[in-house]
Amino acid sequence: MRAVRVVAVASVLALLGLLVWDLVHQHGPGVAAKVDKGKAVPAPELDLPRLNGDGNLSLESLRGKVVVVNFWQSSCYPCKLEARDVAAASRAWAGKEVVFLGVDAQDLKSSARAYMKKYKVTYPNVRDALGKTWPKWGVTGVPETFFIDRRGRVVPPHITGQASREQIDAGIRRALQS
Amino acid sequence: MKAIAVAAAVTALALAPAALACTPRASQAALESRLVCIECHTTLDESDSPFANELKGEVARRIALCQTEKQILDAMVAEFGPEVLSTPQTHGFDLIAWVLPIGGILLGAAALAVGARQWSRARNPASVDSTQSPRLTPEDELRVDEELTRFDG
Repeated sequence: MRAVRVVAVASVLALLGLLVWDLVHQHGPGVAAKVDKGKAVPAPELDLPRLNGDGNLSLESLRGKVVVVNFWQSSCYPCKLEARDVAAASRAWAGKEVVFLGVDAQDLKSSARAYMKKYKVTYPNVRDALGKTWPKWGVTGVPETFFIDRRGRVVPPHITGQASREQIDAGIRRALQS
Repeated sequence: MKAIAVAAAVTALALAPAALACTPRASQAALESRLVCIECHTTLDESDSPFANELKGEVARRIALCQTEKQILDAMVAEFGPEVLSTPQTHGFDLIAWVLPIGGILLGAAALAVGARQWSRARNPASVDSTQSPRLTPEDELRVDEELTRFDG
């Protein structure tokens, strides 16, 4: 009878531990909420397989440059609307210590590659098959665009929805100055 | 117009053996219930989101290519990982999802059986004792006799 009691208590404690672990490991609103309040916050880790190339690409490897991180999905309509502007901006800022990084999430590889071809996206893109990076960044939908300064901090502005060429250029200039 | 109809008939006849070659075909409906829309966390047949529709289209495309149900599911797992399946796999780490509930039920049943046995054992000695009269000490017997004599008298 005592053994049964011990097992019961141990089970309750184990479930309690699981609950605490889950609460501790839950992501808050992500960096987006802090950036929207005007703060500069360290960029979350991002290390994913390349969509247009072999191997992985990490954000860490781009440290020292301003990085424009654009979250997208091939079935998203506003993504299609901004795609040509983002691609044009990436070409205009090429070689000026600015790199663009696309993060395609919850998408078929074939659809994503077709999208890139159609909209002439040539800058590096990585694939987040399950969208696991979204909570850390605070991405709630696509498209969303973040700007990372040379020190690896996400700085305002954070663009939700379709980004215009003017917004992208302004974001880059601000990140270059921070 | 006649030429188009003839061309269509010829094409249909040419494709017929290929279509027959992959019977029985994988079922679109069965696959849609076995795959999850990872964006909306429901099975494909319960979702109408753009992403779910894209996956449904991919399933249909693969069925048209005569792929088996297993081939299609394997391709989806290769693309998105096991999370795309609505039920856990029966091998590897996912096996825990099947073993744990069954193990839990068996453990519960065993605990119940042990508990019931101990409970009935604890009750039995009392019931056996109740059939036997408690023995009186000689002093008590003497006292009972005295009381009875006084009562009769």
